[in-house]
Amino acid sequence: METLNCKGAIELRTRHVMLLASGSLLLTATVSGFSPGGLVRSPAALKKPVTIVWYASPITDTGVRKTMIQAFERAHPKIRVHLNTAPTNTDTMRSTLTTAISGGATSPDIFMGDVIWPAQFGHNDLALPLSKYLPKSFWTRFAPGLVKGASYQGTVYGAPFFMDAGFLYYRKDLLTKAHLPVPKTWPQLVKEAKLLQKRKLVKFGYVWQGADYEGLTCDWMEVMTDAGGSVFNKNYSKVTIDSPQSVRALKFLRSLITSHISPAAETTFEEPQAMNVFDAGNAAFLRNWDYAWSNSNDPKDSKVVGKVGVAPLPTFPGQKRPGYSCIGGWDVYVNPHSKHLAQDLTFIKWITGRQAQTILATKFSEIPTNYAVQKDPAVQKLNPVLKTVHNVRLISRPSGSPVYPAVSQAIYSNLNAALAGTVSPAQALKAAERQIHAAVSKKGL
Amino acid sequence: MQALNLPTRTVSPRGHRSLRERLARQGWIFSAPAFFIIAGITIFPILFSIFMSLNNISLTYSGFKFQWTGMSNYSLVWSNSLFQYALGFTIIYTLITVTVELILGMGVALVLHKLAYGRGFLLAILLLPWALITAISAEMWSFIYNGVYGVLNAVVMGLGLVNHLVIWLGTPVLAIASTMVADIWKTTPFVAIILFAGLQMISSEIFEAASIDGAGAWQTFWRITLPLLKPTLLVALLFRTLQAFGVFDLPFVLTGGGPGHATESLAILSYQVLFEDLSFGPGAAIATSTTLIVMAVAFVFLRVFRVQVGDSESSA
Repeated sequence: METLNCKGAIELRTRHVMLLASGSLLLTATVSGFSPGGLVRSPAALKKPVTIVWYASPITDTGVRKTMIQAFERAHPKIRVHLNTAPTNTDTMRSTLTTAISGGATSPDIFMGDVIWPAQFGHNDLALPLSKYLPKSFWTRFAPGLVKGASYQGTVYGAPFFMDAGFLYYRKDLLTKAHLPVPKTWPQLVKEAKLLQKRKLVKFGYVWQGADYEGLTCDWMEVMTDAGGSVFNKNYSKVTIDSPQSVRALKFLRSLITSHISPAAETTFEEPQAMNVFDAGNAAFLRNWDYAWSNSNDPKDSKVVGKVGVAPLPTFPGQKRPGYSCIGGWDVYVNPHSKHLAQDLTFIKWITGRQAQTILATKFSEIPTNYAVQKDPAVQKLNPVLKTVHNVRLISRPSGSPVYPAVSQAIYSNLNAALAGTVSPAQALKAAERQIHAAVSKKGL
Repeated sequence: MQALNLPTRTVSPRGHRSLRERLARQGWIFSAPAFFIIAGITIFPILFSIFMSLNNISLTYSGFKFQWTGMSNYSLVWSNSLFQYALGFTIIYTLITVTVELILGMGVALVLHKLAYGRGFLLAILLLPWALITAISAEMWSFIYNGVYGVLNAVVMGLGLVNHLVIWLGTPVLAIASTMVADIWKTTPFVAIILFAGLQMISSEIFEAASIDGAGAWQTFWRITLPLLKPTLLVALLFRTLQAFGVFDLPFVLTGGGPGHATESLAILSYQVLFEDLSFGPGAAIATSTTLIVMAVAFVFLRVFRVQVGDSESSA
């Protein structure tokens, strides 16, 4: 009996070593530069329609990309666009792209990418420096601040495709019932929330994004900037996150949880969780992006259809109003190895132009980046978010640093711990400053 | 392997050697294609990642640019508190989950072994958690643990154990414990089935002999079942340890490594460093370090394994 077991075991042993070797290095295997092959076309094929590959995630509506492609192909019959669907998770999408492009893949030709990517992608030659190929006059079409956000060290790497920002969503019906105005300051929001909770009109006062992820960095940028704080100084030469202003902002966020205005589970809330609570009618106020308007007015998911209002976010008393809104959204980038540069640029010009941007706004209620379209009264009257977007004060995340992902991680992981109460706000900010400093000076991981 | 075990054959030393040589050569020829494939998909990436870990790597238009830096990535990684925490977390996670899984799995296997009816049905049910894709079961657990709508809160509050909502994934200790519970739920069946197979291989005559000699159930378990099951037990142990040490999907989906860095395993850390921060050198150093640690653990187990098989052989 034992000998039988023994033999089996020896066989298993050799197999184990192999399994172990292949399994545990799977991660690194992916780095070694295997990349999907690009479409290489012979010069003779140039007269026929050229196909470019567009790598894009489904955004909020899977129909957006197809509608765009159809309209583009009608306007430019010589170019065909092949859609490659990217994962909805931004980080997974980035891994796929960095692996492919750093390996020299010529496909995709164009890819959609987060607004926080320009520095990292520019620094690592993962995106084409668009401002070297498109004239200055091209960039004037975008709403103010967007081009700067898509640049790294003076070079523009992404063409803003659609934008997003943080908004305050509120329950019109509850505010009317309690004769309360839409809050303009954070203390006012706290007061109103408490009142509504006390009168048992609603379970929670305010829901937002406090989980250990990128979204917390967005919410943080708003409140911290409201308080007068910053992550870096202007030219990114000094880390400034550990300041009295930041401590005040973080104490405020933590107090939302300790005073039960926000649920204790707030520290695990990403957008969908906060949205669910609001849609179920259990929160008076919600901080969320553009999509929350259509989401809260969709009878399939929401019990608060028709009861929702939208406004710019509040700020702290004594500060300029309204409060800051973090910039989100997506840019379109070009693969530096693309073999179809002319077609890529045509596509970029078109997709940021009036026709495409109007489709984006009217059919899919995304916020257009094209300023003329954004200001178009016909677009503005479509929904209150498109109307409100002019009045918000925008703040971008410190994505001008090529190590932004590490910076953001240092922010959200330490802040999340402070929100959960495991460390004090002051400790969390000290740790964040230390880690950001390490990341910037390349002494971190 | 088998061909080499033929020393009983009566051939002259010379002839014997040439037969062995021929067999050896044939063996090499037959295994060459497989060897090259394995080399291509495992050994090359291993060597390449070791090479990467010894370089400062920057991404450029024409691909990776390597700059030899020796061990500096390793000193950076090993002196970093995030790495130290991830290493500690991974070790403790492995120790606790594997121990609990072995104990529970053993219990389940013994029950299965004693069952006369319904064994197939139970086996099928047992396999469910194991067969579920981890990302999906992790998503399921995140619903169970949800701090507002979660089933677990409804249960513990319904039983009167707590009187407020518990944020299972919101604080480090609870999040670590919750992740471990989800892991144990998923992999105990796997251990149980391996051990069950081991139990089936033990001849029932031995148990009969034990009972005739008047051994009690407890005595039989410690003196007969356990020693005879040791090889299987160690296979399960080895399998689980290696898997647990590389844990990625469960915490990645359930907690994203949070809150803070509380549930950040070595694999999650190296993913973040490699693919989010694009720090390929340090990332490769983490991956290589992890591999070396796992290999060391595996070799220790294999050593223990061999010794114990020898023991049980001599005692039997």
